[in-house]
Amino acid sequence: MNCLTLAVAGGRKTQSIVDHCAGAAQGRRILVLTYTQANQRELDARLSRHRPLLASVDVQGWFSFLLSHWVRPYLPRRFPQRRLRGLNFDGDPGQYATGEPRFLDAEGRAYKRHLAQLALDTNAACASAVLDRLHRMYDEVHIDEVQDLNGYDLEVLAALMQSPIELHLVGDVRQALLRTNAHDPKNKQYMGIRIKAWFDVQASAGLLEISHASTTWRSNQLIADFADSIFDASWGFEKTISENSSVTDHDGMFVVLPEHVATYMERFDPLCLRHSVSSAVSLDLPFSNIGVAKGRSADRVLIAPTKPMVDFLCKRKPLGDLAACSLYVAVTRARASAAFVSDLGGKLGLPVWTP
Amino acid sequence: MIERIVLRGYRRFAHLDIRPIPGMNIIVGDNESGKSTLIEAIALALTGKINGRWAVEELNPFWFHSKDVAEFFAKYGSDQSTQPPEILIELYLRNEDPLQRLRGVHNSSGTDCPGVRLRVTPSDAYAVEFRDYLTSRPPPVIPVEFYAVEWRDFADQPLNQRPKELAVAFIDARTIRSTSGVDYHTREMLSEHLDSSERTTISLAHRRARQEITDSVLGPINQRIASAKSSLHDRPMGLQMDQSSRTSWETGVVPQVDGIPFAMAGQGQQASVKVALAMSRTAGSTCLLIEEPENHLSYTSLARLLARIEALATKDQQLFVTTHSSYVLNKLGLDRLLLLHDGRPAKFAALGDDTVAYFRKLAGYDTLRLVLARKLALVEGPSDALVLERAFRDATGTSPLDAGVDIVSMGGLTFKRALELCACLDRPAVGIQDNDGQSSADILESVGHLLDDSKRHLIVSDPDYGPTLEPQLAAVNAEGALRRVLGVTERADLATWMKNNKTDVGLRVLDSTEDIVFPAYIQEAVALLR
Repeated sequence: MNCLTLAVAGGRKTQSIVDHCAGAAQGRRILVLTYTQANQRELDARLSRHRPLLASVDVQGWFSFLLSHWVRPYLPRRFPQRRLRGLNFDGDPGQYATGEPRFLDAEGRAYKRHLAQLALDTNAACASAVLDRLHRMYDEVHIDEVQDLNGYDLEVLAALMQSPIELHLVGDVRQALLRTNAHDPKNKQYMGIRIKAWFDVQASAGLLEISHASTTWRSNQLIADFADSIFDASWGFEKTISENSSVTDHDGMFVVLPEHVATYMERFDPLCLRHSVSSAVSLDLPFSNIGVAKGRSADRVLIAPTKPMVDFLCKRKPLGDLAACSLYVAVTRARASAAFVSDLGGKLGLPVWTP
Repeated sequence: MIERIVLRGYRRFAHLDIRPIPGMNIIVGDNESGKSTLIEAIALALTGKINGRWAVEELNPFWFHSKDVAEFFAKYGSDQSTQPPEILIELYLRNEDPLQRLRGVHNSSGTDCPGVRLRVTPSDAYAVEFRDYLTSRPPPVIPVEFYAVEWRDFADQPLNQRPKELAVAFIDARTIRSTSGVDYHTREMLSEHLDSSERTTISLAHRRARQEITDSVLGPINQRIASAKSSLHDRPMGLQMDQSSRTSWETGVVPQVDGIPFAMAGQGQQASVKVALAMSRTAGSTCLLIEEPENHLSYTSLARLLARIEALATKDQQLFVTTHSSYVLNKLGLDRLLLLHDGRPAKFAALGDDTVAYFRKLAGYDTLRLVLARKLALVEGPSDALVLERAFRDATGTSPLDAGVDIVSMGGLTFKRALELCACLDRPAVGIQDNDGQSSADILESVGHLLDDSKRHLIVSDPDYGPTLEPQLAAVNAEGALRRVLGVTERADLATWMKNNKTDVGLRVLDSTEDIVFPAYIQEAVALLR
């Protein structure tokens, strides 16, 4: 049975895959897929600490998976005589391109934009030989950060679910910041955090068993509670339980006034997060973008909030999906404390830190 | 397991498409028929290497099919100009689970199965140089420096080493007296024969031993050198055992046979050891290539080796054996024959199990002559062969051998078995059989289905003139003339002498300068053979 574990931030999702691989039996053939290169490197690095493994484990990026197992072996069945020459990451064949020019550029490289659709078409053209081959190559396929999939990638996922391949999915829909294919209009209603609804559809069709892991090993309970409060009850998320009980001299959620930022930096050396390059330009801090910081941990985090985040904090004005996910990712990077830089101080409804 | 082999434009093969069987495949053919080339091509596609070197390093103009090359240069620049010659070697493998990584449709027939292919094609990177070269009226030799070797699996994934799923062992009969002690192929086999933990253990012990020498024996020596360093060099110098990869255990550890290092053992024993090593490997699906196992082996050693091959063969192993020996062919099973002729495989229909078993028992029989002859005359014994040769020469003015006719004595084989083999190979043959008192209709009845009016005949002597060749000869020649030919005086009874000296009859008929009349059935046979 295919299974999906929806875990909270800091729920050791990636580690659970690594542990599974390390404990797998001799000769077990496992494929681990993930979307971002950073996570791929992380998986490789953690797995290599356990090497040599008894099982044979391959780690692959999602696109590389589509290219090497779906498209390359059977492309001539879809487009006779054609061979795959690579990936065209940014190219766009145009909205009205049909047939081969929609999927392959002049050099024979597949457009990333339509890669998943090409993968599905290729599988259809060879009577599902793609899935048969995969099924015979691997005993189980794991997908980390599954919430990043969207558009036609979900159709690929559905095809995998319907095949005899044993799927293990791990993800956190509240961290749905990245998109494998942001421009793909397919399955638009399941974009981002709403992929949860897609999983529910699969579960009720009997294709997927969903379990929840609500324990975080990273953030303390104060931060976890705040993170939970970002999403209203209608989402139906369970309460996060923190296993981090360590106490420091500065734990929980705070507001830092701009004039105190320099002292705060000196005292706590927090990881500084912002929405994007164009946000919080008035602050000269070593910022990382929230999307990039996904997967990282830090003792302390200092966040430059966006206007909607400020409105959410001051007036409890609900955030949009993406903004909510963004805020969730930002605060859940922290183990001990997360602070917002704002001149509104106590109006944000959080303790104001003073030197 | 290899299910299909396709070669295009490779050496002798313009186009070869064969389907080997599981287990043993015995490749026979005349010299220069491409036996070794086929073996070499299989190894090339499986390993990317030839004689231990990468294909791209070994690539030379003579890899290309000579007719392709000649045609290309002859037509170049004209309206009928053809594509530059290319080489294609494809191995289609059985659709087994461990081979799925190699599976796809990237092969010349678009078949969905695992496989590997090696192509040698003009390189895109040198397209301009290649064109310039061709327009400069070059000699008709393929400029391989403008070619690229592409080695991929059927999933179109480039290969840079032998896929680990495919084990291959190449056993040739070449002399093994290289300085490294063991030749490349044997070393490959040796290291694969050991599992990874055994390899690690050997490697570790080997390195320790070398370090031990450095520490213990060389230690005091290095101290002495160090004390005299000023006279030698301005930095500390010393001696140590070489620990670089050149001195890894693989070059230092060699197989031994009865306490004698492998390279010093007899060639026959070397071949036996190589076969045993290769065949008892634990690796999954193994392809074993054996070139002419009969070389360097005495008859008894060969029998032992073949027995070992049969005993060690498992269902996961596929063997390709080239041979010049009928004994090898009969012993390993005639039904496993893959016959090459001028770079083309001969059609070979199924041979009955009992016939295969029959030839196994009659292993000494020269089956290859039956298999390889262009035109075949099957006769009962040596005297019939000699008489037929004389009759043929008288009628045509040339010896049968010069005319491409091989006269083969049955020597214990029945006409039926021989004709069955010829029928399977679709070989032209004329059998000449004594009637032994039976009517020819009775004799022909049992073999009728094996005959073919256009190419396979069985001619039976007329019972009215006697049961065997001798009375038949006596019946058509005047007694005096025959006595002169045979040198038999009046004192001896001619019929009795002929019966008791059959081979002498044949020899004297062949050598005689006298005219001889041949019985009608012999004449008929000659007419069919010319």
